[in-house]
Amino acid sequence: MTADEFKEYVRSNGTKKAAKDVDVVTTGTFGAMCSSGAYFNFGHSDPPIKMQKVWLDGIQAYTGLAAVDAYLGATELDESNNLFHGGAHVIEDLVRGKAVRLRATSYGTDCYPRKEMDTYVSLRTLNQAVLFNMRNAYQNYACATNSSQKTLYTYMGKLLPDFGNATFSSAGEVSPLMNDPYYRTIGVGTRIFLGGGEGFVAWEGTQFNPRVPRTAEGVPKRPAGSLAVIGDLKQMSPDFLKGLTFTKYGVSLGVGIGVPIPILDEEMAKACSVTNDKIVTAVFDYAQQTRARTPLREVSYAELRSGEITVNGKPVPTSSLSSLYKARQISEILKNRILKREFSIEKPIQTFSMDRVFKPLEVRSEKEAMG
Amino acid sequence: MKTKVVLNFSPEASNQPITHNLISKYHLMLNILRAEIDEVGGKMVIELSGKADEIRKGLDYLKASGVSVRPIKEGVRRDEEACTHCGMCVSICPTKALTIDAKTGKVSFNEERCVACGVCIDACPPRAMEILI
Repeated sequence: MTADEFKEYVRSNGTKKAAKDVDVVTTGTFGAMCSSGAYFNFGHSDPPIKMQKVWLDGIQAYTGLAAVDAYLGATELDESNNLFHGGAHVIEDLVRGKAVRLRATSYGTDCYPRKEMDTYVSLRTLNQAVLFNMRNAYQNYACATNSSQKTLYTYMGKLLPDFGNATFSSAGEVSPLMNDPYYRTIGVGTRIFLGGGEGFVAWEGTQFNPRVPRTAEGVPKRPAGSLAVIGDLKQMSPDFLKGLTFTKYGVSLGVGIGVPIPILDEEMAKACSVTNDKIVTAVFDYAQQTRARTPLREVSYAELRSGEITVNGKPVPTSSLSSLYKARQISEILKNRILKREFSIEKPIQTFSMDRVFKPLEVRSEKEAMG
Repeated sequence: MKTKVVLNFSPEASNQPITHNLISKYHLMLNILRAEIDEVGGKMVIELSGKADEIRKGLDYLKASGVSVRPIKEGVRRDEEACTHCGMCVSICPTKALTIDAKTGKVSFNEERCVACGVCIDACPPRAMEILI
């Protein structure tokens, strides 16, 4: 069942019956996920080159690796800071089947004498093309608004002056980690839907922070867990991997992720029955330019999804940055793949640590850093 | 009757009291939704209300005065394939031309309500909205 169908089933039948009748619940999310990128192996030219600098359609990729391996980050820009065409857009173009221009330079060695390379590559010509994202599918995220008198352009989108709007970025009740708040079934090795193809959870996501305040049902009230994911780019689709532009902020990659959650027991059924009115997040004023913003209030996703919330007594229209439409599409596709036995469900090889803490960065001395 | 049109003025036409004439000669009510002028001429998005035949005559007068007239539907376009239905545009659209259906999660674009203000253009992450005026 999809997460939507399961919640409906629990409403009519209760968690006990739902736990008995339902094997798997499929969840989904589609949103801007900045900590994403892809690595490639280009193959060797003749004469060979040890690539020291690499550009794909003008966007630099990291190649401090072996001779012809490189990692292209989703948020990377060209030298002119063109926000309409960054790493994410190159990844989308590749997935669309387009050829992209590969330029490489080097200093030349006895074993890799070539100093320059200028050619075209596509998913067809690349040996490996692997999407490897360090932080995706955030378990909850903040809601952003703007108290100042000017429009703010942020990673949370365009924020109109004087609390003109508020934006949020979680798919809420259908989002994967909202349905498995304590990571009982999602861990290292979990097979997932990734960008239209199949992938795996590789590790906990960066900034993994499970020890935030939680609701009575256990759902984090702040950004908490996240996933590092990996999958073959060659299987993916531009419908679920999309280059995004955030004006005056930067480029990001829209990533579609779906995670199947096996209903192990009634507790799991209870977790997956969570609805938007039971999931809350905090509203922050992005006019405060500090990492320690004070929350203006807490809101539920039911309120956010209603299209309007109240901040300081003022009605504020809301916008989502993550696509509920695509999240539902993903949970539906994943359900059908499981039903057709095209997708098998894995038990995590290793579960995530609940002790992980998310530390800030301070200006510190060498001695202080060593503690 | 009401109609919304996009007007493009040549520099010569910019010097004529066109809006005044529309009001006084054709008895039209004029709501200026957007107006810009620069070295290559002017652009205006207006809503005209009045009798159907007077609106027609008013538009003929505009054309005769060297103003190009286009229906607003040609002013803002959504690339249906690029739209991810995230809904970022919904809270910034001042006329609620962009709305999200709570049931399906789909964002719909009501061209009738659009006034071609353009605030959605740079707010759209997949760059699905395009302004043509």
